[in-house]
Amino acid sequence: MMASFLVIGYVFKVADTEGMWVAGRGIGNIENGMAIGANWMSAASYLGLAGLVALSGFYGLAFIVGWTTGYFVLLIFLAAQMRRFGKYTAPDFVADRFNSPTARALAAFTTLLIAYVYSVGQARGMGLVGQYVFGLDIVPMIVVMMTITVGYLALSGMLGATKNMAVQYVILIVAFLAGVYVVGFTQGYSTILPQIEYGALIDELSRQFSAPFENSSYYVWIATAFSLIFGTCGLPHVLVRFYTVENERTARWSTVWGLFFIMLLYWGAPAMAAFGVDLFAAVNNISPEAVYTGEQAMSGAEGDVIVVLAAQFANLPRWFVGLVAAGGMAAAIATTAGLFITASSAVAHDIYSELINPDATQRQQVLIGRATIVVVGALVTVTAFNPPALIGELVAYAFSLAGTVLFPMFFLGLWWENTNRQGALAGMSVGLLLWIGSIFNSVLPSYVGFLADVAGGPSQAIIPIYAQFVPPIGAALVGTPLVFLVTIAVSMATPEPPLETKQMVRQCHSPEPMGQQQTAEDIVADDGGSGGTPADD
Amino acid sequence: MTDDDTHDETATASVETDGGTVTDAAQQHRNTDYLQQEVNLLSPSTAFMRDHLRVVWTGFIAWALIVFGPVTLTAIAPETMTSITVPPGFPLHYFSVAFAGPTGALVLAFWYARKRDALDEKYGIDPSSVETSSQGGSGDTDAGDAAATDGGVEQ
Repeated sequence: MMASFLVIGYVFKVADTEGMWVAGRGIGNIENGMAIGANWMSAASYLGLAGLVALSGFYGLAFIVGWTTGYFVLLIFLAAQMRRFGKYTAPDFVADRFNSPTARALAAFTTLLIAYVYSVGQARGMGLVGQYVFGLDIVPMIVVMMTITVGYLALSGMLGATKNMAVQYVILIVAFLAGVYVVGFTQGYSTILPQIEYGALIDELSRQFSAPFENSSYYVWIATAFSLIFGTCGLPHVLVRFYTVENERTARWSTVWGLFFIMLLYWGAPAMAAFGVDLFAAVNNISPEAVYTGEQAMSGAEGDVIVVLAAQFANLPRWFVGLVAAGGMAAAIATTAGLFITASSAVAHDIYSELINPDATQRQQVLIGRATIVVVGALVTVTAFNPPALIGELVAYAFSLAGTVLFPMFFLGLWWENTNRQGALAGMSVGLLLWIGSIFNSVLPSYVGFLADVAGGPSQAIIPIYAQFVPPIGAALVGTPLVFLVTIAVSMATPEPPLETKQMVRQCHSPEPMGQQQTAEDIVADDGGSGGTPADD
Repeated sequence: MTDDDTHDETATASVETDGGTVTDAAQQHRNTDYLQQEVNLLSPSTAFMRDHLRVVWTGFIAWALIVFGPVTLTAIAPETMTSITVPPGFPLHYFSVAFAGPTGALVLAFWYARKRDALDEKYGIDPSSVETSSQGGSGDTDAGDAAATDGGVEQ
């Protein structure tokens, strides 16, 4: 399987930047929908989600809701407009919309942070699968898998990644659904619709599995779902998918298809969690309650690979367990690939060629991009040896960052033409500070000695009240409205943006069809009669 | 491309319509220079945007109810929500959050995309009228080998 990734990647090896980052903009509905699905379905969806539902019960459902329903908001408010704006990356959008290199740098930095935090979850997933399925140690497994991913990426670009993504989607959805169906069928839980039939099992499981607000308050539940929903709309590696389609109608429909392809997995995840929890109790000869408390309770690591363990507990053949595990690997690799591409373009394109060396040749850019992939890969690998939380939670940190910092920029940038540079800079700074503060407050005390001393223990927060209302996982519930307010207030207090900028925004909302290679900027520059001087870069 | 810019003196106060016939809307669309119309989410300035935003807000409100309604009801009335069972044995709160919420969002997404295409039709817009390398539209599954040059510069 790994060999097939490498082969496809090699075949589509591309060295020009257009091919490297947006695959020349011409991919159809269903294929793009599958690519959205594959890009989306990280180890967090494939492994972490069932793990969260199994371990956290009703709170885990916040992740199911958050990671699916956000696509509707993305569709109605951003997808088509983004496509019309026609820029390569999130930092590109922010820079061109707000005419500010500083805004570009902030967005690129945010993009890098997102890619990094998100990938740590993926690497942990790879390591755990290796540990439970292949019996290897977690550390060498992480190193080997990350090396393969980085090597494959450094060879090919986005085009290879996109082709691969439709293939990867098929591989992983087949693996996942096969797992759900076969486990359900062989153990007598379900027949043709395990996605619904697992409901009959809920009564037999511990109260912990389904009782509402056992593991978290209503506030945390909502904060988590909110962060994931609006994080979806701010995720750079999801948005980049809209640049690879030919027009905005395709952008819209591929979002619908993408959501459907994602749902195929998300309908099944709680079923797999229920089967897994029940089998866990049966195999270990413990009562349903003992899964959650006591000596033999399920550990976080076991929860995170419950999808694979369920297949193992069901005494299915080794090759089948391997297939389910391979799906998890494919998910982790596909997403990591997408993230690293985003990170490399943020550094090579946004920071290096836009800010440091404007005369950079394509070759230099590609080189810098590849170097970034290698460096970020190394950092992620090291962090993943001792990650601070479950896979799904790690990934959720990245979402709350995207929802806090980038989503308000996209949304206001596209829906209110008077949003200006000062507003964007103020908003992004506030959002970044709020999120970083939240991480410092709640996550870092486990790692950094003196912070733990301040907090009064490694698992304590420095400022408990802040941790209660702005948990890293749900920071967007407070952060997003705050950034909106700051951005709007500052924009109102400072001069309006120039006419060309406003016209670009207007062009994003014009129903006039646009050519495939056109951006809003081109149209505005060509529109002589409007009295504005052509926008120059 | 707006190649027929009729510079309306009163561009900012666009004509009020109540969704007339197709030709009316299309006519109006032709007479609008979208680069002269302010974009503000809360006060749409063109007929097209008004129609579009009506769909958007309807969808958004329905979405908010579907997504946050069940969990809020569970917080308000936990007894009721947990004691009702949905076949084949789900407690209602679990089913409405785990299954109904995400599925509702998918149905809404489909509804929105249909509505938005209908708007294009109403305003006489043909998305495939611009030259693209391949025809857009649903079901276009052939691999988009658009302008990417495979034989790029070898490193």
